[in-house]
Amino acid sequence: MSSSPLPLTLNDTMAKGISLAVTRALRDTFGVDVTADAPEYGEGMVSLAGDVSGIIAMVQQQLEGTLMLSISFEVVRDLLPQVVGKSVTITPEMVGDTVGELTNMIFGQVKSELNQRGHQIKLGIPCVVTGKGHFVSQFHRGRYMIVPFRLDGHLFQVYVALHGGGA
Amino acid sequence: MSQLSNLKVLIADDHFLIRQFVRNTLQEAQINNVQTAADGNEAIDLVQKAHEVGQPFDIVFLDWNMPTVSGLEVLSYFRAKSDYASTAFVMLTAESEQQNIMKAIKAGATSYIVKPVSPADLGKKLFEINEWLKRKRMAAGGMFG
Repeated sequence: MSSSPLPLTLNDTMAKGISLAVTRALRDTFGVDVTADAPEYGEGMVSLAGDVSGIIAMVQQQLEGTLMLSISFEVVRDLLPQVVGKSVTITPEMVGDTVGELTNMIFGQVKSELNQRGHQIKLGIPCVVTGKGHFVSQFHRGRYMIVPFRLDGHLFQVYVALHGGGA
Repeated sequence: MSQLSNLKVLIADDHFLIRQFVRNTLQEAQINNVQTAADGNEAIDLVQKAHEVGQPFDIVFLDWNMPTVSGLEVLSYFRAKSDYASTAFVMLTAESEQQNIMKAIKAGATSYIVKPVSPADLGKKLFEINEWLKRKRMAAGGMFG
């Protein structure tokens, strides 16, 4: 017998879970510390800080959502030598692959944490979008939350949009 | 760390970042006999060929989600063959949910690693896996030796 999932809302608790997931993914993989700023909330279209974004769809019964990590090419290019070595030339494909895997790791943790609290969410297949200063268009014009992070003075963001359910 | 240096390891993951990250940690543990595969089919080929030439892998790291054949399918394929009973298959996944862990254990995974993982925690896992290998070999030696 399965009980109804706990409604999911964009709030500071969810932002804290995202902060922990991002901090852990970057510390464990690259040995760097990032700082999370206060989350921002809004509605409609938004322009994100990065030019490489990892995106995953999310569903919970009637609720639909998007999870996105948006980061600049330069930040990832500067991180990669920690793992691949300084002598390797970093290509755009390597940056895209890295953002895809970071997206997997970050939102895999977020999903696990939310589901431990009874939200019963499912994630889709991640994809990576690249393009300088790209916009995120929400066709449903729902609410969004952005959690900004800083790494060596550079900004990157995690964006969450929800539509329906308890959003 | 030297007790690990004779191990032969395969890392199967479609992301180069994880292949390189695991390889770095293995090198820190003095494990240098390392090969990589970018999908499940390549992993199956490499594991079978190594076994055929009498130089089998001791540890196979398998990403859960890989193109063509998933890590779980690779694991199930080899666990159905008794020849690979002493090979440690270690699942790598971004999901820590209990049902996935249970699925991997039921399919015969030796261990389960949730990404992200720190080099220190991966190093601890290596020692646990090495202990499993020792027990397996001791049991096999007791039976046939």
